[in-house]
Amino acid sequence: MSSCRLSCWAVAALLAVQTASASAQDTIKIGVITDRVASAKFYAEPVTRGVELGAKVLNDKGGALGKKLQLIIEDDQNKPDVSAAKARKLVDDGVAAIVSNTGSPATQQAQTVSLETRTLHLTPANSADTLTTLLDNPYFFQTGPLASIQLATLMAYTKSRGFKAVAIVRDNSALSQSFADSFRQGLDKVGIKVALEEVIPQGATSAVANLQKVRAEKVDAILQAGVLGPEMLQFFRAYQQLGMKEPILGSYNLSIPAYLTMAKDLMEGVVFVDAFDLDKPEAKLFADVYVKEYGEPPSSLPAYGWDGIRLLALAMEKAGSLDKEKLRAAMQSTTSFVGAIGAKGASWGFRDGKRTGFDPQGAVVRVIKDNKHGPVVYAGQK
Amino acid sequence: MEDLPELIVSATASGCIYALVALAYLLILRPTSVINFAIGEWAATGAFIGVAVLTPLAWPRLEGPYWLALVAVLVILGLLGWLVEVVTVRPLIRRGAGITSPILALLGVLVIFRESLTMLFGADPLPSPPPFGFKRVALGPFAGASQQFLIIGATFAVFVAVWLFFERTVWGRAFEAVALNRRAAALIGINLRRVTALAFAAGAMVAGLAGLLMTPLTSAHYMMGLPLAIQGFTALVIGGVGRVEGALLGGLLLAFVEQLGARYLPIPSGLTLGFPFVLLIVFLFLRPGGLIAPREAC
Repeated sequence: MSSCRLSCWAVAALLAVQTASASAQDTIKIGVITDRVASAKFYAEPVTRGVELGAKVLNDKGGALGKKLQLIIEDDQNKPDVSAAKARKLVDDGVAAIVSNTGSPATQQAQTVSLETRTLHLTPANSADTLTTLLDNPYFFQTGPLASIQLATLMAYTKSRGFKAVAIVRDNSALSQSFADSFRQGLDKVGIKVALEEVIPQGATSAVANLQKVRAEKVDAILQAGVLGPEMLQFFRAYQQLGMKEPILGSYNLSIPAYLTMAKDLMEGVVFVDAFDLDKPEAKLFADVYVKEYGEPPSSLPAYGWDGIRLLALAMEKAGSLDKEKLRAAMQSTTSFVGAIGAKGASWGFRDGKRTGFDPQGAVVRVIKDNKHGPVVYAGQK
Repeated sequence: MEDLPELIVSATASGCIYALVALAYLLILRPTSVINFAIGEWAATGAFIGVAVLTPLAWPRLEGPYWLALVAVLVILGLLGWLVEVVTVRPLIRRGAGITSPILALLGVLVIFRESLTMLFGADPLPSPPPFGFKRVALGPFAGASQQFLIIGATFAVFVAVWLFFERTVWGRAFEAVALNRRAAALIGINLRRVTALAFAAGAMVAGLAGLLMTPLTSAHYMMGLPLAIQGFTALVIGGVGRVEGALLGGLLLAFVEQLGARYLPIPSGLTLGFPFVLLIVFLFLRPGGLIAPREAC
């Protein structure tokens, strides 16, 4: 009796192993590192949603290399050490590639694993210019618009408006300070004076004093370099309360849709850098699919993930196998990829051995209208 | 020239928030000698309860009236404050632990509250509508957001009520007696356990009210507790830990220094971050008892 039961268990276990093995052979595993709880959650979650939608649409059409794409999603809490640990786990799980939708420092750290294990690694939305320069990792590719490209586009727009003197308003986070420094350098290059820089500290209960100073300087425009939601809300509240009319120009941080909820009806007319133009056919196609799936119009963020997973699938088809070196070479040879992200006429490519693929003319400036991310008012750096 | 009156309204409203947090500290500190740094997280809890009742952004998505949010905050925070005392402070006191033990235990409570809020409401800041809209209100030259005037009015009402409680009621006298001499108060029949529990409940209610009132200006977010705890504690030290009026005075002074300094001092605005700490150090060195000295035991 006992030996019979043992045999039954053994057969069941064998069948289970065989089924799992067959299932694994039918799919291509792709690891996704996202931030579900911490400070990068704002943009990480929507980008990951775009990856999921892209994978679903690709799978409906047969996937890649005749196999379905299977996403394994890990939360790194936007912590560099956790991100590297999650990358290691994904590699151990047998992923063919990793997509990092988290903060830039976390993506940087995860690269140590992709470099060591020669795993194709892509970040579709990170903007830090240093991600491909701090570590010489030939397996890592960046497709989102670099911070420098976005800044140059915003500065070109600022200059086109004829502004002579502006104020920079930021919070006291490291990222905001970095934005403000970049703004300063960019403004300096195009000959626009920074009349003052105001800091709204974390935990402030009012930004009235800061904006009174800005109002007193009679600047032509305000560059909003803040990244912390509550402090940005203070800024917009005080701006409204003081009846100010100076144009507000924002970083690409303002493309995060959560701000529209947080500062509802306070951001009318604010312009911000983005990389999404709904008049572009590829963007419209993406938006239509998104609306059909989720019943709401997308912001630009899911489009980054959508493009990222499509780019990976394309590289797999091009490589003809999941061989790590062939995958890397296929990705490196990408040219003229037109995605949902980017201005009309812009395309991606990793030319001349570069691993940052975004077209320098691909960023746009959009305006907020009716509490929504509205039309493009400027494109490129001309 | 309109700057100063506008700034006075803004600083008074901010000062009132600091004062309410300072009062929450004081209500617990006076009868128990326990500094409860979880006060900031209690304010954050009040803010999130307000969002949950007033908006569709968080469960139970009631979109209810403001009075309901107020009642919910006072009842839930009162219960939570009482529960914290029963679960963390009372057992330590019963076992004769030193005064630092409850303080450390309450630091643990701080972490538990913060993480619970993150799990329940997420990491995104959640906005909350003010009961009287976002319009600008002007009383002569003094102009500001309607919420700022509500904060000022509500804070003064709370302080008057608390002052009357201490000065005019038997329970208030019992609190004061415990604050002056715990052992003597026990000898004359005051129930120390009940006073301590009520102190925690009342402190939590006042902190929750501060969170509810400030949310339309700042949004509710899981990181809001710590700055409030620091600002409230600084206000308490400035005003003096012994008197209700001190908490109000300390809060107002701190906010005026912060905002007038940010507006008129010829220094980079980033440096204004240090104002509370500078004030704290100055007062600890020069006037450790604060602006208003406590009553002496007879």
